[in-house]
Amino acid sequence: MSLIIKHLFIPTKSLCANFQQPLVRNITRYSTKSPVISSNNVLNSLTDWETLNKKKKVSKAMKAYLERAQEHDDFMKRQQFEYNIGKRHLANMMGEDPETFTQKDVDRAIEYLFPSGIYDPAARPLMKPPEEIFPARKAAEFDEAGRPHHYLFYTGKPNFFKVMFDAAENIQLSYIFEDKVLRKKATPDPDGTLNLSSSVWLTKDQLEQMLVENITDLEYDNFKLVMERLASLPYAYRHKEFIEKFRKSLGSQRFALEIPKPSYDDNGRAFITTYECLRKKARGDVTLRSPGTGKITINGKDLTYFDDIQSREQVVFPLIFTGMQDKVDVECNIEGGGPSGQAGAIRWGIAWSLRSFVDTDMLQRMQVAGLLTRDNRRRERKKPGQPGARKKATWKKR
Amino acid sequence: MANKMKIIKKSMAWYYPNYLLPKIRGVIQCRDYARNTTFQSYYQNPVFRKEDQAKLIESSELSKIAAFPVKPPAACETSSVYHDPIVNKVINHIMEMGKKSLARSLIEKAFENIKRTQIERYHLASTQQEKDKIELDPKKILHQAIENSKPLLQLTPIKRGGITYQVPGPITENRSLFLAIKWLLEATYEKERTVHFPEQFAWELLDAASNSGKVVKRKQDLHRLCEANRAYAHYRWQ
Repeated sequence: MSLIIKHLFIPTKSLCANFQQPLVRNITRYSTKSPVISSNNVLNSLTDWETLNKKKKVSKAMKAYLERAQEHDDFMKRQQFEYNIGKRHLANMMGEDPETFTQKDVDRAIEYLFPSGIYDPAARPLMKPPEEIFPARKAAEFDEAGRPHHYLFYTGKPNFFKVMFDAAENIQLSYIFEDKVLRKKATPDPDGTLNLSSSVWLTKDQLEQMLVENITDLEYDNFKLVMERLASLPYAYRHKEFIEKFRKSLGSQRFALEIPKPSYDDNGRAFITTYECLRKKARGDVTLRSPGTGKITINGKDLTYFDDIQSREQVVFPLIFTGMQDKVDVECNIEGGGPSGQAGAIRWGIAWSLRSFVDTDMLQRMQVAGLLTRDNRRRERKKPGQPGARKKATWKKR
Repeated sequence: MANKMKIIKKSMAWYYPNYLLPKIRGVIQCRDYARNTTFQSYYQNPVFRKEDQAKLIESSELSKIAAFPVKPPAACETSSVYHDPIVNKVINHIMEMGKKSLARSLIEKAFENIKRTQIERYHLASTQQEKDKIELDPKKILHQAIENSKPLLQLTPIKRGGITYQVPGPITENRSLFLAIKWLLEATYEKERTVHFPEQFAWELLDAASNSGKVVKRKQDLHRLCEANRAYAHYRWQ
């Protein structure tokens, strides 16, 4: 409260410079927290607008906000308390130390104690800290008199439009700088480059979370347009910090993943098994043995397990690509789905297992060939009111 | 605890303003039923053929591309020497109702017919010079046939003053490839009922590869028409 009152001083002082005495009285009254002024002589000595101004000291909006904030704080405190208790209970149930029980352990415990077969992971039971579940809210955007802090408050989305203004300003600055360089005939900075290849713009949801504001699709498109424009300028690297704020790195480096060391069987042959090779509805496992002669076994049969040539080609694709077609033996068990899905699953399994038998150069080439990417596309569901996933009935006037 | 959370969520309705409620639901459940069935836009197209990769290695761009996620190659694409994107395209044009293996067997039979005819011609040829001229590779013949059937110009109907003019203009690479394959197949489908598709298709390909036949004539007709309509060409930009 005391902080808020300090803010109040400045405008009141400047307003009441002529009324030295009332000012003092004014403040003391406020600081003793009695907003209603009953004294007659105060009313007499002040002009009308002064009284009005004073009564507005704590605006209705601010009052409501304070109440809401208080309520929210209490609510969050209660939630945090319950979460902590729940965590301790879980730790005890799992027979672990409650003091060192982390969120990771909580997730594991929930998965163990409440097993759920629901397909959508987001619909399964969960226990997360309350800050993650209840969205962040904005602090008061106005002072006690109801005047907004932010100069873009009346746009309704001050944070978003601030970003847009900043981006536009950076574009202008970039143009000015370019002109300057041209006028001076200076050579451009050789090491000043902006590498955006390994990151993407924030998605709409991420941006909304960052700005704590809901934005429309059109506004998001505009945001992307402006940022692309800024990033495409030759001197964009001078605003690198600003641009980086709104980008998210793709991050997922395949080679950072651990490549398993092969185990050895009774004959002293190295082998590696990849479980869960999935494609469409097919699933299976693939075992690679090295050294081998290029023998392929699928569910006990050889390559003729597949009737069509396309599927056979798919199975040998990674072997031919890496040139290992006569250096390893392949055994796979596959079930579910059709020939195309099964062949795709085996293709991925062989490529994934081959990582242990090839050098990093070849790994890079396999990555560029897309052999190491899991194809997680599934059949799209049929929609009600139309004959297929996308297909619509022929339009008839009546 | 999970149940507790759900109860809390219900009891929050009175507390949170309405515009916040959908947001809460979004955070807890994220129910996106229309899941993405495609790869994100930043996924790169795969480069899986050995000669293409060799080019990338030469220009040292391979390691740059390797930093990106890459789409997996389609089920009909391999790095094998027998794989040919143009043949794949033709297979897809022939395919009906998704019966790809049938389409593939048809084109393979056509290739066999071409091979037989060409070998017969080869053996009938008397001198070595004549023998050298005869192309024995059916895939090369297909490529040559398509190259010969590709139109260079096209007519686009443009309406000016209530009259539709056929205005000649340049054609994109993709469209001319599409038209070439389409014309070859249309010429093939105009056959006697007793003649099978692979035989007729083989003849058409051999004709087109030697720069004669229905399809090449169709292409030349189009070019002639474009030449005749030269006077309308200015409608493209006026």
